[in-house]
Amino acid sequence: MYVYDDFDHAFVADRNREFADQVQRRLNGEITEDQFKPLRLMNGLYLQLHAYMLRVAVPYGVLSSRQMRRFAHIARTYDRDFGHFTTRQNIQFNWIKLADTPKILEELAEVEMHALQTSGNCIRNTTTDQFAGAAKDEVADPRPFAEIIRQWSSNHPEFTFLPRKFKIAITGAFKDRAAIRVHDIGLHLKPTGFDVHVGGGMGRTPYLAPLIKTGLQPENLLSYLEACLRVYNRYGRRDNIYKARIKILVSALGAEEYSRQVEEEWARLDTTKVDAPLAVVDHFKSFFPDPAFKGGFDAEALDRAKTADAAFARWVRNNTHAHKRDDHVSVTISLKPVGLPPGDASSAQMDVMADAAEAYGYGELRVSHEQNIILPHVAKGDLYALYRDLDGSNLSTANVGKITDMIACPGLDYCSLANARSIPLAQDISQRFEDAQLTDTIGDLQIKISGCINACGHHHVGHIGILGVDKQGIEFYQILLGGRADENAALGVITGKGLPAEAVPAAIERVVRLYLDLRTSETERFIDTVTRLGRETFAEALHEPA
Amino acid sequence: MKLLTANRLSDGVVLWYAKDRWVEDAALAAQIDDAEAETLQKTWAARETEVVAPYLIPLTADGQPVQREHVREFVRANGPTAGQTAFDTSRSFHRAEIFE
Repeated sequence: MYVYDDFDHAFVADRNREFADQVQRRLNGEITEDQFKPLRLMNGLYLQLHAYMLRVAVPYGVLSSRQMRRFAHIARTYDRDFGHFTTRQNIQFNWIKLADTPKILEELAEVEMHALQTSGNCIRNTTTDQFAGAAKDEVADPRPFAEIIRQWSSNHPEFTFLPRKFKIAITGAFKDRAAIRVHDIGLHLKPTGFDVHVGGGMGRTPYLAPLIKTGLQPENLLSYLEACLRVYNRYGRRDNIYKARIKILVSALGAEEYSRQVEEEWARLDTTKVDAPLAVVDHFKSFFPDPAFKGGFDAEALDRAKTADAAFARWVRNNTHAHKRDDHVSVTISLKPVGLPPGDASSAQMDVMADAAEAYGYGELRVSHEQNIILPHVAKGDLYALYRDLDGSNLSTANVGKITDMIACPGLDYCSLANARSIPLAQDISQRFEDAQLTDTIGDLQIKISGCINACGHHHVGHIGILGVDKQGIEFYQILLGGRADENAALGVITGKGLPAEAVPAAIERVVRLYLDLRTSETERFIDTVTRLGRETFAEALHEPA
Repeated sequence: MKLLTANRLSDGVVLWYAKDRWVEDAALAAQIDDAEAETLQKTWAARETEVVAPYLIPLTADGQPVQREHVREFVRANGPTAGQTAFDTSRSFHRAEIFE
């Protein structure tokens, strides 16, 4: 993974010193809250419903075991012993004291982490495929480019005060696991160069990003991004926060006209002052070598373990992903145990995951936008030992990609923007579908829950999306059907009136039962059946009386 | 009648105004006449080294937050309703949840 150089260390240390001074001046009353608020937000510190929340960047979701241990330490020492992994592949600590923040940032800097640009109208953490550098279907590793984008966008003087926040996602695999078409810019790295999608997003007005360029050469990536951002920075709407994202501009201009303006801007740019030459790209690639893979494994021993332990066999089936080496897999550690908040991990669990990464995963972990933790490289011969280590800490739930592997934002339990609670609903749904056999019979099904229209829970692209709304102080939940964030991305459509929370799990069960009745075979996934038969077929089941 | 609430500057903890002081237990919050509440809110808005973002919660005749604020204020007063180590405010004060 990327290693800080002297410049990086000095840059982060300077920012931390600056923020420590700002915190002290705020505590002393030398600056007002109005003056302080934008400064703390630039350093990832929000004031939420119950307390301050610190959002720490996990660059493109890549973590070392040492960094995971530091999260555990922060959770234990400064928070209430847990952290929440987010759909931006970051981590949030929900109970942080303002006065402790400088010390926390100092301790994060020791392990080459920070909270910069996790808030504000700037370029946020670039997200990517959680299996980057490991997946069998990968064409090229997106991590070096994500790091190049991170360095280019950090404190970029021109793009620190954009009309609105800006999110970039990048994938280098055939299958899109980074949800690129619902990002401000989605980059798809192919053998011929980058496909560039611009103007996607969720929130109040969801759009799938249209393709505006193909074959962009890697050495021209930054100048082209700069041109995209410049057009947005110039013409994006600053008069209306609800219309300020780039998706609104691209929609208003049309993809063709936006693309033309970007090309015009790109032609005017002195690209030599912006672009990372191939030698620099190669330098960044050198930070992401393969680990020294253990060779070979005893396939018969693995089969024997699976035969002897059905729960292990199920975990292998559901929680492992094909690796570029046949003797390895990528393992997803589900943070969705039945009945508990999606994406949360205790400090003890973080330590267990760090231990597991060191023992079986070459010291590397990832955070997925589905709010799970990944060990990208695990030798097949180590799987059973890994499983047993995780099993003792409630980290062996075998539900990845299944109905109980839900995305849920913190919702009204923590977030000051939310209209309704997300976590208790996710807990209720997971309890309704806790039967492992039923879950496996249902197969792949993604439920995504947001507690407000800002869509941090990605409800627009859930196979079943759930949006919490407030009607005169009572929580209701609108159900969307047919969304997906993969390479066939589609936006879900709202089906009828909102339901009260207590009616939602039963409504989902009706839809799922109908799907099981209507699917043509066990291999036809829920989203395929919905696509084949139309959402209306299932909408009726959602809203029929229990 | 209204309640006055804010967050403490140093640690962000939710506070409730109880006659002449701030307390952490929402059950001890004072129900304040509208006019006095407005004055208090303005007074504390200026005392920024102690509390942040003070605001008023309108109450119904039976002392509940008005309907449109009910869920939010219930969660704020009692702590998260979910979370593996979430702070259970009501339990820590040895009382039932309020705003039920």
